[in-house]
Amino acid sequence: MADRIFAGLLLLVTLAYGFIAFTIIKAPFQYDPLGPESWPQILSVVAVLCILGVLWKPDVEHLNVAGRTWFRLGTMVVLLFAYAELYEPLGFILSTILFGTIVARMLGAAWIRAGLFGLGAGVLGWLLCVEILDLNLPDADLLAQAYSLSEGTI
Amino acid sequence: MGDVLSGLATGFGVALMPFNLMLVLLGCFAGTLIGALPGLGPINGVAILLPIAYGLGFPPESALILLAGIYYGAEYGGRISSILLNVPGDSGAVMTTLDGHPMALKGEAGRALSLSAVASFVGGTIAVVLMSLFGPLLAQFAVTFSPANYVALMVFAFASLASLVGKSTVKTLLGALIGLMLATIGIDSNTGVARYTFGLPDILAGIDFLIVVVGLFGMAELLHLVEQQVSGKLKTLPVDKSFVRWADLARTKWTILRCSLIGFFIGVLPGTGASVASAVAYGTEKRMAGAEGQKTFGTGDVRGLAAPEAANNAAAGGAMVPMLTLGIPGSGTTAILLGALLMFNIQPGPLMFAQRPEIAWGLIASMYIGNVALLIINLPLVGLFARMLTIPQHYLTPLIAILAFVGIYSIVGNPFDLFMITWLGIFGWFLRKLDFSLAPVILGFVLGGLFENNLRRALSISGGDWMILVDNWKSLLLYALALLVVAVPVWMGRRARKMAEADI
Repeated sequence: MADRIFAGLLLLVTLAYGFIAFTIIKAPFQYDPLGPESWPQILSVVAVLCILGVLWKPDVEHLNVAGRTWFRLGTMVVLLFAYAELYEPLGFILSTILFGTIVARMLGAAWIRAGLFGLGAGVLGWLLCVEILDLNLPDADLLAQAYSLSEGTI
Repeated sequence: MGDVLSGLATGFGVALMPFNLMLVLLGCFAGTLIGALPGLGPINGVAILLPIAYGLGFPPESALILLAGIYYGAEYGGRISSILLNVPGDSGAVMTTLDGHPMALKGEAGRALSLSAVASFVGGTIAVVLMSLFGPLLAQFAVTFSPANYVALMVFAFASLASLVGKSTVKTLLGALIGLMLATIGIDSNTGVARYTFGLPDILAGIDFLIVVVGLFGMAELLHLVEQQVSGKLKTLPVDKSFVRWADLARTKWTILRCSLIGFFIGVLPGTGASVASAVAYGTEKRMAGAEGQKTFGTGDVRGLAAPEAANNAAAGGAMVPMLTLGIPGSGTTAILLGALLMFNIQPGPLMFAQRPEIAWGLIASMYIGNVALLIINLPLVGLFARMLTIPQHYLTPLIAILAFVGIYSIVGNPFDLFMITWLGIFGWFLRKLDFSLAPVILGFVLGGLFENNLRRALSISGGDWMILVDNWKSLLLYALALLVVAVPVWMGRRARKMAEADI
């Protein structure tokens, strides 16, 4: 069943993909026998055949994920999106401390250890990646602004 | 032969530079660690660390040496958790659990670890030697390939992928198609027409390769770890003082040799990597051991331990051969390495040995050094790696996410990419849950542009006549091989079923 639902969704996406390939993509002028639309057309036809194959003979019935596991996975995804959202506004150090602490706590570490882990990941990660390896990571825009506001230097 | 020697001289000149030497050691060490951690295999390790290696701004050969070190280091390290925990560190090490863990239960963990280290070393070294001998020959032959031949080669690659990887042929093929379709997003390089960008400026240049890799492997693996979260610590068996004996080596020398060859050739086949190789090697050795072997295999037989270990390390080397010489990766991980080369603007393929010898040979030479280094690192430090196995998952999981975010953000500093990897991670997790393997997706994504361009070039040469695809003996040979690789497993399956029925 799970297979069929997924294959059905995939079929819709592939049909849309094929529709765009057959109707919308066009080069204004070209000298080659195959234009930008031909390859996607071939792919969409073969993909539809494969999806029909899966629909015809599905082999995965259930995802076998318990309710609590779904909850944990959902929370994890939300946390990841939150981390991505806050990455630039809060800066690497702060967002990583928050993310590391909350995830470690959620997955079963005690509060204190989780907090230490988050702090370590944020601060040591910053020192390693930015100070030593010279990678480009966001520094805290908001904090810097707040800091300079309190100094009154804007 | 002279070519090979002068090439190796060039290569060692590159690989022995102190900086590169340090990277080999670092890569091997990190790789062993990643391989040893249960759940994190070579492909996830390389995927997560690739953007960071790219962001460091190393010269291409150094970055590649580092990544390759992580790759075969991880193949090496997978055995540690197989033996001590009975949990394979990666899919290539599944077979190692069968005889390795029973040995550890008998109190011979040290012996099992050191024997498997030696088997891995021999397997890896034989693969590199064969690679330096046959790689250039294959490259010389491949220089004569026309675009039509390349199309045939791709068909062969996808055929062997579909028939040898994963449980379901249709699903593997569909996975590869998803990868190919993802690769069509962005501006078409021949005509400048935007395809499937829906006006989003972030994907005009196509979805970045790094994002697909980190999303499908790093983030999907992370979600998998969250799903499998085990409460409480895994219990590792202690590493004792026992050590491999000469008698063990004498007993397994032919096994190791045979399995190295098997592993190498399976590794060379496009699409099939260490996991297929170790399974085939184990099966072969069990059959060759005869009636007596049927009883001892699976209960801690040294041959059953040496066979998969020699094979999976040889396969890791073998998979590099088509990647370097043809530009067609032999496994999921080498597909990522291929993508890494492309990011450095190096076109892997037959001309690489002639045009960028420092990269091709430097990489090969670094593998000689890496194999020795791994043996030296692994024999005394195995206790340290064993202790690392007990790092609780609740720290490992957030760490993967942090590393993935650091790597992706540091490429261009676009937070949109962070959302992309998360979405791709969710997609990849669903694919995994539904028994799709992810390696074909990445293979399709990496090869998509090459496949399309060669097809278009071939048809431009012929003025639109499709017959050009089949009017050359090289293409026909490749199509025949493709048919063979699809037909043989089906035929063998039928025969096995018939024999099973006849038994009843």
